[in-house]
Amino acid sequence: MLTFQIAFRNILRQKRRSLLTGLSMTGGYVLFVLGYSLLEGSYGNIIDIFTLDSTGHIQIHQDDYLNRPKIYKTIQDQEEIKAALTDNPEIKSFTPRVFSPALAYAGDKTAPSRIIGIDPVLEPTVSRLLQKVAQGTYFSTSPNPDGYYEAMIGRGLHIRLKLDVGDELVLISSGADGSIANDIFVVSAIIGNKTSFDRMAVYLPLVAAQEFLSLGDDVHEYALLVNDKDANETIASGLSAQLPELTVAPWQEVEATFYRTMQADKQGNYFSMALITFIVFIGVLNTVLMSVLERTREFGVLRAIGSRPMQLVRLISLETFILAFISVMVGFLIVLPFVYWFAEVGLLMPAPIDMGGMVFQHMKGEMSARVFWIPMAFILGTAVLISIPPGLRAARILPKEAMGSH
Amino acid sequence: MFRLLLLLSLTWPAIASEERARQVIDEMEQLYRGDSSDATMTMQVQTPNYNRTLTMSSQSYGKDYAFFRIHAPKKDRGVATLKRAEEMWNFFPKINKVIKVPPSMMMGSWMGSDFTNDDLVKETQLIDAYSLVLLETDNQYKVTLTPKEQTVTVWDRIEYTVSKDPLLPLSQAFFDEDGEKIRELTFHEPKEYNGKLMPSIMEMRPLNKEGHLTRIVYDDIKFNVPEITKETFSLRNLKSRF
Repeated sequence: MLTFQIAFRNILRQKRRSLLTGLSMTGGYVLFVLGYSLLEGSYGNIIDIFTLDSTGHIQIHQDDYLNRPKIYKTIQDQEEIKAALTDNPEIKSFTPRVFSPALAYAGDKTAPSRIIGIDPVLEPTVSRLLQKVAQGTYFSTSPNPDGYYEAMIGRGLHIRLKLDVGDELVLISSGADGSIANDIFVVSAIIGNKTSFDRMAVYLPLVAAQEFLSLGDDVHEYALLVNDKDANETIASGLSAQLPELTVAPWQEVEATFYRTMQADKQGNYFSMALITFIVFIGVLNTVLMSVLERTREFGVLRAIGSRPMQLVRLISLETFILAFISVMVGFLIVLPFVYWFAEVGLLMPAPIDMGGMVFQHMKGEMSARVFWIPMAFILGTAVLISIPPGLRAARILPKEAMGSH
Repeated sequence: MFRLLLLLSLTWPAIASEERARQVIDEMEQLYRGDSSDATMTMQVQTPNYNRTLTMSSQSYGKDYAFFRIHAPKKDRGVATLKRAEEMWNFFPKINKVIKVPPSMMMGSWMGSDFTNDDLVKETQLIDAYSLVLLETDNQYKVTLTPKEQTVTVWDRIEYTVSKDPLLPLSQAFFDEDGEKIRELTFHEPKEYNGKLMPSIMEMRPLNKEGHLTRIVYDDIKFNVPEITKETFSLRNLKSRF
């Protein structure tokens, strides 16, 4: 308690110096928190964009379908997987899909396309497909009165093939049994815009796609959303144990390229934030050293009346810590409204990001406990760490010599 | 003079063997074709991932014209292929579309089988496009076919084995540029069809794809059918419903 009193008094003794040092630490903290919040927030935003757009938080495939898709690498036991997914309270929603490349014809025009067979009812619980319908109406499972199934096409196909809602679309592909799949579909809707990932996609009702590709009841993929998106990797490994014959991949594996790029970028950003802190603390170190030097005499007296060297180290660390703590608390009060604003409103971007028909205009921050406490712990820790060398210096003071100096 | 004689005596057997080889191969080609033919057959495609059985009918006229139409399964009913000289078209009744097989697709699989489109188009031109070397044993002819310089093909050589009595094909082995055997066509179970003895089963086995096999079983074949003329092989006929 005595040490605490002395430490506090020492801080107040040189008010201006303490204020300036404190301010630099406050500034460092504020910058750190803002940078961290924006970094996590904008990545969190991008991750939400594509996971909720179509990828989902977790995907389930047969074997290595994800990296080497083959039409016959299918998930066969639908009942087992559906039961496992329905019973799991951590899983919010799931949807089955089938895929195949196909040649699309309309009139005398052709274009390469990708068939995505989806369950019209389950799909909107996982992806934003329903919201991306730009023209026409979202299809249903049943064929139209003429016996043709409906299809929804990407904007790119609409432009390439000059296809409109209500027109006939011919698809040719190869079926899972080696047959040549060929059939006519009627366009019911146009999806997204020219930059969507699915601009050349043809969405078919699941049953129609399975019949077209001779897949029976098999599907290629289950995409699912979880309640706690940060726990998706844990949930994925849990599911993997439950469904050992299938491959369960969190989005970090599905979008591995993006994930690695993001990790590299984040590391670069952490490094520059650490650099800011480092520069701030060079100043702090200077101040602490100055104050130790200035009080050589005083420390001599303390040693002479029986203070142990360790007590002096502790005293100086405590001084720095108290100063850092006050600065960080002030910084917290200052930065809190900013982070709140970033998280709620966000920075208006000069050019909005368009993710296949969904427009994102604001760069958003993340508002969470970690955004505040990680920089806080980092700064307080560094403060204690840099106060040790000056402390050791003070501890080494010999009372006789010290009291002899001015 | 002596030299000339020597030269003649050396080349004579070669010329004779090439001539005999041509006869043998030509006879084999004629076997399945006649002047015209009308056949029904069953094709079984076996792969590690699926098995599939198709029944179809085929007509041919001379060596340039051929026509195939699938009768079963229901899903593929009516799908047809027309071959005229070196051109090929597929017809899909469900979408009512005739699609010409582009040259780039010639090595692609025909109807999901281990036969390529090229097999259907070029099969009949062995004696024109290849030079032949005959090797005769007691009961077999072994003809090695190497492509002539101007022939466009992926094969380095084809080894055609024919039994002498009865004179029937036994196997064709296809080798790539590295001398490796890529696939093998074998002929089994000779049967008499309308007075003509011929193998009733053909099996194509690609050796670079494990577990793949295509078997064609001839259910019936008639030769020199008067109803089949050049006109049978028109694009209009290809598109006609049946």
